[in-house]
Order: sequence, then C-alpha cells, then structure tokens
Amino acid sequence: MININLLSKKYGEQTVLEIDLLNIPSGQTFGLVGNNGAGKTTLFSLILDLIEPTTGLVKNNDIIVSKDEGWKTHTSAFVDEQFLIGYLTPEEYFYFVGGLRNMKKDVITAALEPYKDFFHGEVLGQKKYIRDLSKGNQKKVGIVGTLLSNTPLVILDEPFANLDPTTQIRLKKLLNQEASSTGKTFLISSHDLQHITDVCDRIVVLNKGKIVRDEKTSSKTLKELETFFQEQL
Amino acid sequence: MHSNMFKKIFYLQWKSFFRAAGVASKLAQKILIGFVWAYFAFVFSGLAFIAFFGIQNDFGLDPLPTVSGFLIYAFVLWVVIRYFIQKMPIVHVQPLLTLPFSKKSIVHFGLAKSVISFFNIVNLFFFIPFGFILLNEEYNFWGVISWLVSIGSFILTTNFLNVLLNSQDKLLLIAAVVLLGLFGLQYYEIFDITDFSEPIFMAPYHQPLWALVPVTLMLFSYRWSFKHFLKKLYLDSNEMRPKNEVQRATELRWLDGFGRTSFFLKNDIRLIVRNKRARMAVWMGFAFLFYGLIFMMDIYDYPVTKVFVGIFVSGGFLFSFGQFVPSWDSGYYPLMMTQNVPYKEYLRSKWWLVVVGTLVSIPLASFYIFFSWESYLAIIAGGIYNIGINAHVVLLSGAYTRTPIDLNSMQQAFGDKKSFNLKTVLLSIPKLFLPVFIFYIGALIHSKLMGYILIGVVGVLGFALRNLVFSWIEKVYQEEKYQTLGSYKQKNT
Repeated sequence: MININLLSKKYGEQTVLEIDLLNIPSGQTFGLVGNNGAGKTTLFSLILDLIEPTTGLVKNNDIIVSKDEGWKTHTSAFVDEQFLIGYLTPEEYFYFVGGLRNMKKDVITAALEPYKDFFHGEVLGQKKYIRDLSKGNQKKVGIVGTLLSNTPLVILDEPFANLDPTTQIRLKKLLNQEASSTGKTFLISSHDLQHITDVCDRIVVLNKGKIVRDEKTSSKTLKELETFFQEQL
Repeated sequence: MHSNMFKKIFYLQWKSFFRAAGVASKLAQKILIGFVWAYFAFVFSGLAFIAFFGIQNDFGLDPLPTVSGFLIYAFVLWVVIRYFIQKMPIVHVQPLLTLPFSKKSIVHFGLAKSVISFFNIVNLFFFIPFGFILLNEEYNFWGVISWLVSIGSFILTTNFLNVLLNSQDKLLLIAAVVLLGLFGLQYYEIFDITDFSEPIFMAPYHQPLWALVPVTLMLFSYRWSFKHFLKKLYLDSNEMRPKNEVQRATELRWLDGFGRTSFFLKNDIRLIVRNKRARMAVWMGFAFLFYGLIFMMDIYDYPVTKVFVGIFVSGGFLFSFGQFVPSWDSGYYPLMMTQNVPYKEYLRSKWWLVVVGTLVSIPLASFYIFFSWESYLAIIAGGIYNIGINAHVVLLSGAYTRTPIDLNSMQQAFGDKKSFNLKTVLLSIPKLFLPVFIFYIGALIHSKLMGYILIGVVGVLGFALRNLVFSWIEKVYQEEKYQTLGSYKQKNT
C-alpha cells in the first residue's frame, strides 16, 4: 500500500525525518509511536503530500504522491482540526465528504447508522455547527468522516487524544472491527502505548526522525515499549 | 505600571507581525502604504486649501461657518465608511488573560490602538492645515483652537462608538438612511440641515467653553466602550464566541444541477451565510454598486473615471470575495488538499460564485442609466471584462495572498472583524489599469464607444480562453500548495 524510499525532511540544517525504507502492506494496521518531535505528524503529512519531501518519495498504491493526485481517490485522513469545516453541521460535513467520494445522500445516511454508538448521541441531530462542538466530539466527527466512505487507506493522527475514556474504548473496538471485517489499511499514531498495541498489528517507533523499532505486535510488545520509553528518561 | 504593560503588549504585537506568514510581502505592502499615506496627506491638505479659498472666492461665503454646517454630513458619512474600512485593532486576548496583565490595561491598549487608525489620521490631514489657514487669515486664535478640539473630539467619539457598535449591522443602515434622507431633503430644498448644524459646530468658535461638550462626549464614549469590553473580556462572552444555534440550515437542493461542483458551491454559500466576515464581502459588493454615484458629478466627467466606475460597480463582490480565495478555506485547507478533488473543480466553484455576483450586479446597476447611457455602457463593458479577465486574475492573485482567515474567531475580543481594508484595495489596483489602457486604444483609433466595445471584446476573449487559463491557474495553485498550507498553519496573523 505504502512504500517509502530514502525519504527525508529537513528544515534548514535540522533533519526532522529520515526513513530509508518502509513498506506497509495492504490490510495492515500500522501503529506509529514516538515522543513529541519524533516526526510522526511529519511522516503522515509527507504521505498526504501536505509538505514537500527534501529527498526521496512516498508511493501510495504505486502512485508517487507528490507527482500525481490519483492517491486521493482511495485515501482518507484525519490529522487535526484543519480537516474539519467549522461552519458546517456534522451531517452537512458527512454529506460533503461522502459526496466528494460519489456517495449518494441516502447512502451516507445509512452508512452513518453503525456509528450511532460511537457518537453517543452527542453529534448527530444536535443543530450545532462543528466549531461549537467540544474537542472530543469534533474528533469523533473527523474519525467517522474518514471511515464513512470506505476508502482502502485510512490515516489517523492521534485519534485517541481528547476522547473521554469510554469513547477511547469504543474507538478501539470500532477500529478493530473495521480492520478485521473490511481489510482496510490503517495508519495510526498515538502517545498511548496500551491503546496502540491493542489496535495495531505492527508498531513502529520513531525517535528523532528515525525508525528505531519495527515489530509485529505480540503479547510482549507493550512491556517492551514501556521499557524502551523508560530508557529515554 | 501601566506603561510597562503597554510595552509588553506592544512587544507581542511586534513579534506577531514579523513572525507572520509572508513577512516580506507584508513589508513591501507597508512601504507601499507609506507612499499612500504621503499621497493622502497631500490630497487632504490640498482639500483644506480648496475648501477655504474655494468657498471664500467662488461662493463668496465665510468658509468656517460653511464647513461647520456641512460637518454633520461628514460625521454621518464617517460612521458609514468606518464600518467598512476601519479594522478593529487586533489584540490576541486569550493568552493574555491568564498572564499578569490587568484586564483594564488590555482594554485600554485595544482602544488606544483604535485611535491610531487610517481614518482618524486622514482627518487630521484635513483639519490641521485648515486650522493653520484660519489662523493665517486672522480668525480668532482661541476660537480656532477650541473649534479644532471640538472637531477632534467628535471624530474620536465616532471612533469609539464604532468600536462599540461594531457588531451591529443596523447602525450602518440607520446612518446610511439618515445620510441619504438629509441629503435628499437639502437637495430638493425642503429642509436644510446645515441651518441647524452650523450654529452647533460654530458654538465652540464663538465661545471656547462650548468645546467642553464634545470633549465630555468623547470621554463618555471612551468610558462606555471601555466598560463594555471590560465586561466582555471573558472567553464565554458573546464577543468571544459565535452563536451556538444553527439558524440557517438548508439543503440547497437547487444547486444539485451543478454536479460535483455543487458540493463546493453549497459550502461557499454556507460560508457566506454563516460567517460574518464572509457576509461582509457580500455587503461590500452591494455598497460598491453605489460607489459610482460619487463619480457622477460633473468634475469627474472623464472617460477614465467612467471605466473605473464600470469595473468597480460591476465587480464589487468579485473583488471583495474573490481576493480572499482560497483564504476563505484556510481553516480546512489540508482537508481540501487530501479529499478526492482536483483543484479545477474547487476553483471552478469559486469562479462561478464571483461570476454570478458580477452578473447580478450588472442589472442592479441599471439605475446609472439615469445619469447617462455612457455610464451604464461602461458598467456593462466593465462587467464583461470582470467576468472574462478579472475573475481569473482574482483567483490567480489568491494563490499568492496566503493570509489565513480565522472564521471562528473565538479568541479575539477586538477581533479582526473587517475583511476589507486598505491593503486589499491596493491589491486591486492592477486589475483596474489594464481596462483603462484598452479603452484609450479604442478611443484613439476610433471613438469612445469603440473603447468600451474593446473592453468588452477583451473580456469575451478571456472568457473564451477560460479552460486554458484555468489549467494554468491550477498549475500555479499546485506549485504554491506547500507554501500555502504552511502559511495557513499560522492562524490569526
């Protein structure tokens, strides 16, 4: 799905990301962890062609993202609040995002049904604009916006942050379900080691822009990750 | 204590300017604006001379009482113009609230900053030379001083009232109606307001103590808006947050005929309806319809002004809205860039919007026929030119503007409320000169009529080439994409 080759991003003298090789096969739930400034959002932004790579390239389904816009048809992403349109209601936002992916309105309405639990009655039918929702509810809108249209690739930056504990558990269930039943590829970053190991089948650790660990998730992974970050103290 | 805080707040503002997106271009703008200041200083002090000696020599009237009489119009007009032009000073309040600045000094700073506005200073350019002429012509010294003090106080009163009543569209409407009403009554010699306003504004000249009245008025208006903002300096006050309720939820089904472009058109219409800043752009477009009236006077009876008027009157919305494409979408530009949309569709929606705005303006401006057929012809020619050429130019310059617009300005009390300011007017100038040039080619080889036709023909040509031009604009947008995304990351600059 994603192939990264000799990718680097520099700001002036400072290298913020340097990845020689990274392949993410289709259907994988890929987890990215690392401290602030490790380069997680930079990596996602490069994959989404929101920033220009200094060297190297990202291929999404064999399309070089900085050369061709074709990857957009099969990719959905929610990175931060700049992926939401504040003056729309959540419904209007879903109709917009879904509509751009050629979904009819009633199809979108039906597709929203399974997410009722996740919204917990705080998002749909509220007669509120997204800008007036709480941070947590905004996040729910953004996450569902990426899942709704069934794109084969979903990128979520810190989806667990700002969510209340119950919703975090719901989100974990939701992501596990989606990953196992639909065969979608997920790229997820998080600061929460427990959540990310629960959801992802592969974990990559970034440190100062470099990949320092890359492993399949096993029962030992959480312990190992905790030890790793302990050593950073 | 006070001055120290002022210094600190000033320091923050300074930093926010120099660390803002596109500082270099901003600096160039500042320099350009410096020239504009010089220009205005020149024009307005010239106006002071004309006002004095023109009234004295051509009409045989005493200039001071005559000017005093007409000041009432000036004041009402100022309220109207301020509403559009005057930008509220920006103080980023939220981070300051929890720091050891007293709330009072934050508000004092905001209000003090509002005094140093383009508008107030331009007035000085007129009244100070006018005062010197009066003194030179041996008017009573203390009388002139107290007259100037009164005028200054009146100006500052409208300044603070404007700050205070800024969010009220009604005030604008009332002021506009009063202005037109008074002018109409005087024009048809039914009622002459200047008979009443003259003694009022002359009173401080005859008896300097009367100056205390406007000075008190000014102090009260300061006090009033100070208290108003002090109370509103909480994050949950109305000034800080937009209304929560969805008031205008419509499906806009009639747009579905536009196919995929309709998704963007729907958003753009919601953008305009639900965000004050975007609404202002529409109001500006409407106001420009009447802008040409100023130039219907005989002294402006030159083809150049007719061409200008034609472009401005038909293109008000095109300029006021179009110049902020794609900045209107700055809050969610990354979303737009990752969705399944080619740039072309996105741009086409904006293009449709400004074109429809122009198409609506042309029949609305048909009342210019009453002044002359030529004026309306200029508007039609200007309209065609706007659709064919300027609609593209505006979109193109948008690729380089890159000023993020914060639609959900929750953090600002003295928010950056006006989407229209002097700088943006400056950016429109290049869009105006070319048609004048084209007009003169036509006028030189044949006639004025030919000039207007030529403007229209160029417009039609631009329209015919729109697909080609669009591909080119698309390329520019793509090249600028990373820069634009980077600039939009910095909000509230």
